[in-house]
Amino acid sequence: MKAIYERYHIEVKDAPSRIKLPSKFLVKRYNNCSDVQECTQACIYEVHRTREDGQIAEPVDHLCRGCYRCVLTCPKNAISIENNPEFERLGNSYFTPDRIETINFEAETGRVPVSGTGYKGPFAGKGFDSIWFDFSEIVRPTRDGIHGREYISTSVDLGRKLSHLEFDESGRLLSDSPKTIEIPIPMILDAPLNSTTRRSIQLALAKAAARLNTFSIVNAKEYSDDLAPYRLNLIPRINSTEIEDFEDLIKASRIVEVDFKDSEIDDHLERIKEKNPSLLVSLRFPYDENSSERAEALTRMGGDIVHFYVVDESVEQDPDIIKNAIRSVHSHLVDINIRDEATLISGGGIAEAAHVPKSIILGADAVAVGLAYQIALGCKACYGDKHAADCPMELEDTEIELATQRIVNLIGSWKDQLLEVLGGMGLREVRRQRGEIGRAMFYEDLEAKVFGDRE
Amino acid sequence: MQEQLLFRTPEVEPAPSKYPNRIEEYEIILDRSRCTECGICAEICPEYIGSASIEYEAFKKPDGYLRIVNHKSSCVGFGCQRCIKGCPTNALSVKNSQYLALGDSRWTPDLILSTLEQAETGRPSNRYEYRNGNSRGGFDRIRFSFELDKEERDGGKLFDERQLDTSIVLNKRNDGRPEIRIPIPIYGGDMSFGSVSLNVMLARAQAAEAWNTFTSTGEGGYPDKLIPFKEHVITQVATGHFGVNAETIKRARIVVLKYAQGAKPGLGGHLLADKVTPDVAKIREVIPNVSLFSPFPFHNVYSVEDHYRHVQLMKDINPKALVSVKVSTPTDVDMVAIGSYYAGANILQIDGGCGGTGAAPDIAKKNIAMPIEYAIPIVHNYLVNEGVRDEITIMASGGIRTAFDVAKAIALGADGAVIGTAELVALGCKRCENCERGRGCPSGIATTDPALMLLINPEWAAQRIINLYSSWKRQWNYILAQLDLENIRELRPSNEVKFKNGRFSHLVHLDHLR
Repeated sequence: MKAIYERYHIEVKDAPSRIKLPSKFLVKRYNNCSDVQECTQACIYEVHRTREDGQIAEPVDHLCRGCYRCVLTCPKNAISIENNPEFERLGNSYFTPDRIETINFEAETGRVPVSGTGYKGPFAGKGFDSIWFDFSEIVRPTRDGIHGREYISTSVDLGRKLSHLEFDESGRLLSDSPKTIEIPIPMILDAPLNSTTRRSIQLALAKAAARLNTFSIVNAKEYSDDLAPYRLNLIPRINSTEIEDFEDLIKASRIVEVDFKDSEIDDHLERIKEKNPSLLVSLRFPYDENSSERAEALTRMGGDIVHFYVVDESVEQDPDIIKNAIRSVHSHLVDINIRDEATLISGGGIAEAAHVPKSIILGADAVAVGLAYQIALGCKACYGDKHAADCPMELEDTEIELATQRIVNLIGSWKDQLLEVLGGMGLREVRRQRGEIGRAMFYEDLEAKVFGDRE
Repeated sequence: MQEQLLFRTPEVEPAPSKYPNRIEEYEIILDRSRCTECGICAEICPEYIGSASIEYEAFKKPDGYLRIVNHKSSCVGFGCQRCIKGCPTNALSVKNSQYLALGDSRWTPDLILSTLEQAETGRPSNRYEYRNGNSRGGFDRIRFSFELDKEERDGGKLFDERQLDTSIVLNKRNDGRPEIRIPIPIYGGDMSFGSVSLNVMLARAQAAEAWNTFTSTGEGGYPDKLIPFKEHVITQVATGHFGVNAETIKRARIVVLKYAQGAKPGLGGHLLADKVTPDVAKIREVIPNVSLFSPFPFHNVYSVEDHYRHVQLMKDINPKALVSVKVSTPTDVDMVAIGSYYAGANILQIDGGCGGTGAAPDIAKKNIAMPIEYAIPIVHNYLVNEGVRDEITIMASGGIRTAFDVAKAIALGADGAVIGTAELVALGCKRCENCERGRGCPSGIATTDPALMLLINPEWAAQRIINLYSSWKRQWNYILAQLDLENIRELRPSNEVKFKNGRFSHLVHLDHLR
């Protein structure tokens, strides 16, 4: 008998990487080593081992945690630990080596990264790094949701909501309630940055979206029959000029995404909805200084989802862009009282688990995860030639099931970390975190309040 | 008599590292295939340093190994390179890559090495930076005004030998409970049996006794071996109530109610199954090898009224103890503080987001709750305006690493500080983050592994902590002398903390300085 009540659960399991990241440390053993092998006793991580022939083996760098005990212990002072320059060269200033390593861990295990000692990073930074979450000291609902005893909802709704209901004189409801789609996590997967040759990644994304019960965006031109089984979890992305070309796809999907080009969108929107009246339409555009007004216009035209994005290179150059983007678009829609009439999805700059609740507390309903899942599959965020088709990491060689599981693990880990934040904040559902600026603390504000000039 | 007891300072005794090697900033590397054992390097070096340099013994007798490390720390590295340039066969090179791999932006290589040096010698390092880290904010961007003056660089006066009064009072409520004065403005933080070994707890307790201050049980029960030190051990009552009973509450002079922890505010505690050994399980009154969660929050405290009853309950159980309330730093930390004041707390411990932990989700460490540098003045100002500041003692914790951090915390409005990680670094912690799984700490500190915990000898470790605080005491004396203050209580502002052009009282914030 099927259980009446099913709790959303992401099935994570070990999915070891196809590509090994460089180790964080290099452990060097100089040739004054006299093979007394005290290091094999000193090291509890088995960096130093004895070979079968009884001689000391080469140190296993990637097991080293940097405790320095071997360095201190060696009677010949023959060992040294150094940072691995190859590790330090990973990624870029935004997708830092540490972030890439963390994503790799999450994709491999699906677990929440837990460690000892206090926070080791800089005091604060720009963009998402300038935000701290509030938490609730005494008066609060339970946090037991994190350990599953009570339920914390991470579901969000995609689609329009009514700002108010209308009734006729006899009290009958006049308003049609618009269709919404509930997804159990506030994350969708964006289309791969370069996808033309990567069928296996398209498939893995589609399968992961289906397993996670969320959506993956796919460029309509690259939609093929092997994706059809997952059509309920795919959002085809269409240019406004191509609507007629993809009539079948529009009919077969629950959501389509249209790249916003001009004000003719009004007309396009009608044409799309004629073809499939129950379809939700997501309107996508790159963020710029006019984005608040654009979001307003698109919402008023009847767009169900407003999806704005900042490309990762821009976030790398100025991490504040994405923070300001979400905050200004959200605030504008709040100010003119239409915030709930569309779902806001933000994309860009999502490089770690915390960036999901941070996007949401700034005002997004959900986020589109992009580069992070590619990193989970081996991308090194080199932006080489705008993610050229000949990416040396050969992501497309990843075995589909492994790739799927790594994406599922990453999102599973992020969902559990979202629960940590919601639990810490005393929130029972992620919907209530949206735009809760009062429960976020900003570096700029605190600096001004505490160390700035005051009257 | 009382006075003498109070200002009695424990003896500094050398407590050198037990390891044959040290981590030095610079390493001189010798390429054996080029060395002709001419000994020129050994002649050049001390000539330049200006001292008979036994440090360079190694140069005199090239022992044929590829690598010579200068064991004593007088090599000045890249700035000198005399030996390297003087070597006729180019057999020597200098590097600092091992030093660079140590630590992080909060605990820089310098802070780790200078803390180790202070633990060994009881004096500030004259080689490594011992005041500030490099986190680009908070304490690391705050200076005492005298630090910006050129005069301060006068090395001769660097450490005022006068014994100045650095004592603080832990109970200011006039509630019939003891005042409890501690001679230094710090006590040891909450670290449970299980998160650290019994030997470490014993060492901390011995050091607390020697300094006539306190250490805390943490949330892991009260090991019997700590009973001889009970005058200096704070009993922590936390949400899991592990090993907490009327007896352990009655035993203590201070009871701390842990509402939240800065490293994982709102998330309670978490001891992974690996570390719940039979010994740990016994003292915590739980089953071995099962992960332990201490929930959040206290499930009997959901309002200020509940909080009041909770504090009173502790006071009823132990009519002589002070009650400390440990909270973290939410947006409304000032409201929490005033609530605790009205609930009757003698001490309010505010634990900032950079605090230590045996295990916490990384997402919580970095992202939840504000840093302590903001919380101290926010709380202080609020209590000043409410007119109750002088009735409650504020202890700051969570990211306070050095004597200068402590002094800055006080100058920002705290009465004193609670120290955790610095004590562990003094015992050899390299912040490798691996406290929580497997056998635990490779340095034998945060572990319950019976073999690893033997790496820490309690007497030796106690001496290291005593020495560290002796060095800190010198630095506080020095700061007070530089500021012409009689005692450290005067360092704490009596009015609101208000910065203007980046300056407030004795402090300068470099990012706001105009």
